[in-house]
Amino acid sequence: MTDTALPSTASGSTGLRRALAKNRGALIAAAVFALLLFLVDWISAGPLTYFDISFLSSGGATSAIAAIGQTIVILSGGFDLSAGAVISLVNVVLASGMDPMAPASVALWTLAGIGIGACVGAFNGFFIAVLRMQPIVVTLSTMFILQGVTLLVMDKPGGGVSPDLGAFYLGDAIPGWLPMPLVVIGVVLLLWLWLKGTRFGTALYAVGSDADSAAAVGVNVVLTKFLVYVIAGGCYGLAGVFISAQTGSGDPLVGNPLLLSMFAAVVVGGTRLGGGQGGPVGTVFGAYILMMVVNILLVLNVSAYYSTIAEGTILILAVLAGSISHGSVLAQQLRAAKARFAAWRAGMLPSQLDRVDRRLRIAAPVREPKASATRPPFHIRNAETLRYALPAYVCLLVVVVVTQLWLGRAIFNPGYWNSLLVLSSFLAILALGQGTVILTGGLDLSVPWTIGISGIVLAGMVNGSDAALVYALPTVLLMAVAIGFANGVGIAYLGISPIVMTLATNGILQGFALLYSQGTPAGFSSPMLRWFMTGRILGITPVVFFLIAFAAAAVLLLGRTAFGRRVYGIGNGVRAAQLSGIAVEKTLILVYVLSAVCAALVGIMLTGFSGQASLGMGDDYLLPSIAVVVVGGALITGGRGHYLGMLGGVLLLTALQMLLAGTTLPYATRAILYGLVVLGAVMALRERRLH
Amino acid sequence: MGIGSRVRQLGLLAGMAASALCLASAAEAQEKHKIFLSMSFIGNDWQAEAANMVKAMVAHPSLADKVDLQVQVAGPNAQRQIQQINAMVQAGAEAIVIFPISPTALNQVVKNACDKGVKVFAYDAEITEPCAYNVHIDQEEAGRVTAEWLVQKLGGKGEIVAITGVPGTSVDDLRTKAAKEVFAKHPDIKIVAEAVGMWSQAVARTELSKILGTRSWDDIDGLWMQVGCFTANSMQLEAGKKTSELLPCAGEGSNGGRIQMLPESTEVEGAASPYAPLGAPRISYASPPYSGALALKLAVAALEGKEVPKKTILPLPLVTNETIKLCEEGTWEEMKAGCNAFKPALVSNPGWFASIFSDQTPEIGLNAALVGQPED
Repeated sequence: MTDTALPSTASGSTGLRRALAKNRGALIAAAVFALLLFLVDWISAGPLTYFDISFLSSGGATSAIAAIGQTIVILSGGFDLSAGAVISLVNVVLASGMDPMAPASVALWTLAGIGIGACVGAFNGFFIAVLRMQPIVVTLSTMFILQGVTLLVMDKPGGGVSPDLGAFYLGDAIPGWLPMPLVVIGVVLLLWLWLKGTRFGTALYAVGSDADSAAAVGVNVVLTKFLVYVIAGGCYGLAGVFISAQTGSGDPLVGNPLLLSMFAAVVVGGTRLGGGQGGPVGTVFGAYILMMVVNILLVLNVSAYYSTIAEGTILILAVLAGSISHGSVLAQQLRAAKARFAAWRAGMLPSQLDRVDRRLRIAAPVREPKASATRPPFHIRNAETLRYALPAYVCLLVVVVVTQLWLGRAIFNPGYWNSLLVLSSFLAILALGQGTVILTGGLDLSVPWTIGISGIVLAGMVNGSDAALVYALPTVLLMAVAIGFANGVGIAYLGISPIVMTLATNGILQGFALLYSQGTPAGFSSPMLRWFMTGRILGITPVVFFLIAFAAAAVLLLGRTAFGRRVYGIGNGVRAAQLSGIAVEKTLILVYVLSAVCAALVGIMLTGFSGQASLGMGDDYLLPSIAVVVVGGALITGGRGHYLGMLGGVLLLTALQMLLAGTTLPYATRAILYGLVVLGAVMALRERRLH
Repeated sequence: MGIGSRVRQLGLLAGMAASALCLASAAEAQEKHKIFLSMSFIGNDWQAEAANMVKAMVAHPSLADKVDLQVQVAGPNAQRQIQQINAMVQAGAEAIVIFPISPTALNQVVKNACDKGVKVFAYDAEITEPCAYNVHIDQEEAGRVTAEWLVQKLGGKGEIVAITGVPGTSVDDLRTKAAKEVFAKHPDIKIVAEAVGMWSQAVARTELSKILGTRSWDDIDGLWMQVGCFTANSMQLEAGKKTSELLPCAGEGSNGGRIQMLPESTEVEGAASPYAPLGAPRISYASPPYSGALALKLAVAALEGKEVPKKTILPLPLVTNETIKLCEEGTWEEMKAGCNAFKPALVSNPGWFASIFSDQTPEIGLNAALVGQPED
């Protein structure tokens, strides 16, 4: 008996340990949440009552429910940017469709909301699963289209939903004990747990871990991916219903700002971007952690200027707390450092060894006369690059022709091409930074405020003097190097996910920009900088020449240097890159430094273009900087893409915007058209089955 | 960035530490009214200026020992503002002053706050919940008056470009619809291009550049912009126009735009083109940034039991080339006498909003808007 009992308890404890290890992310998120709740309770004037809990639970419910949907998408290896737009759409549909005075059927309208979300999900799913297009572009296009549709349904805040909806969703399940929002989240989580146990659940994790292997063992990848987006859409729909109940009315912009914090919630909750690991339970805690920050800032009375800095810091700390374990990147780096130190003491570091040529002696290869092997023609050597880069240029041609036909004065008007290139220059430069980050499989969300703070600091230092440019430019660029270095260290050495790290950096930079400018940025661009962006040499704006040189340098950097090859190597597989001797950490840091420097250049150029810097001047450049990279044929998961393709993407989107700006179409229609064109442009890029 | 601002930062840090460590100062706070301010996004000139004016109002001797004010930022996220207002109510607010991110989404939480006896004041934009107090301008009037001015300036005929605000907001919708109604009455006025300007000079320039890619300045007779006349004038000069050829522009109340309206011969300290007198044909209107400070003052009055109307419609600040006048120092007294533009030597940021005068707020002048210091 004892003999058999021993192994069984041992396996029991390892089973427990395995379960703990598997759910570590969620457990740590829960612990952080409990800690924050305790903190709020401790520093608040009075103890937390049921009332407070009820408030908190309804405050975080919308983002929690939506983030559950996002988690499922991310588990499958996808990405969904349309989530916020679905919430807005459901909100306005409910607010314009329901009679605010009359009683209404809660079940019916809830189903309607979930149904709308699921339909949008099916739209996404069709393009992503069936046509095998990249999730980020498809959902970005969907986002634009939905924003347009939302404005068509309701062009300004208004309308109202039946009070029944609010009474149901914000009420108590058990008065005094259990608020309804928690029950709603609980029901969604229970449904998820059931789903996870089914064949679909297994398929979901399998597809997220490795789609090819999943297909090889007979998982229906297409159906699984399709269903993922439909289910996620349903979750966003439910979140839309909840926010309608909570606000009692409609607002076409209500859902959009929820998008970025949704990703933060997913990552804080322990789900890995890229798929296969984590789950919605942790996400719910992640969403509530982010919500609690609002309360903590309020109780601590953190000044408005410091609030984004505090938020960013909390985000990083929460994620770091979650990554303290034997297997974490940080721990690995520490062990590696220890090993390196030991090797140094033993005098065994490669740099300490004699520089003797230890290559095996092989007889020099007989040089075949090269003439016999003719190089394949250009279009075959670069077939892949062409296939991914060309569609953007073809679409660009179409847009330019349409502009000529519709507005006249395009193709034969040098001013048109000059404007196109000047307006493209911002995104073209961002595309190199963001594109390189994406090639390594990351994402840089700190672009907006790197642009902002660079412009503000530059304008403040220059203050209209050309002479000051001499020291202001290097200062700003050095600052950008520091920003990129911080991002890179956080990502490479602390193992923080790029999205979280750069999102936090963005918030921290915003705080610094506010503190530096005290709310109103002073100073203005110098005459030379303004001339650079708005003057003319032979009818051409000087920045156009710079853009051409920049593009050439960018192509060489990515295509012809060791740095470029390392970037592609990391994007194709970090592990393989490491084993083949690439200094992954150093390369990653350089990549984020490059991205920050590009953003700073754009900040400087925008300051010259507008004549002054303003807070929030970079806000409109984040999503486009990602869109152009993908429209230009790069793979969002890394490893594939060419700068000329990205440049094509930039020119296409800018030309399209110029076409739309020249018309008097309503904004809603423009948003829809914009989304459709982006979708159409990448349709040609879709992954064809190779076998 | 002088010593003053650094001292202020240290003060803020000390304030943070103090409020975290000694919450026992409640005895003192009991005499003061506990008022919270929930701002929206802090990252633009208007918001920062409004926040400065609120700070100055609180610092004024008439309110300093009556009010304990805490400022919080909700960002652009209505969901967060809901949560924030709830937390403020829980923290024992007597009054909450809000820059509402959405006119409708806050209704439930505002009603909830009202039910608990909290006075809720919204500034600049509106909260439609009936229990809230609103302080703002008539947005439709703004759209209508500026459009009528442009029509009259063009003699009822011409091709114009319209740059609107943030799509999907009530303010933008009311202004744009009112303006378009006016244009519709004049069939010879034609909007040839329209773009979304997001109430930002930088965006206005990008959008105008896009429009001018396929159109030249000679094809345009006038501009109706919610924000961007300053930029449009700069761009016309860059394109080689003379100051006498600048197009009539109906638009925002930024100081840069106001300075451009002054006759070209005016001597102005610190002026450098394009932030200089150009004699540009303009009408300048604004949603005035003092509305937050006024809302706070009204909130205190309401807490003291005075009768405060639920709706305070602010007079629309309108300045044309006929009424433009440069301020010497920017004191409240001086502005009361009719000046409405500030020297670049005093206000270095041309995007700064110049409509800071209200006869209801003698506590705050130029220094309030710039650095948060009240009038003496």
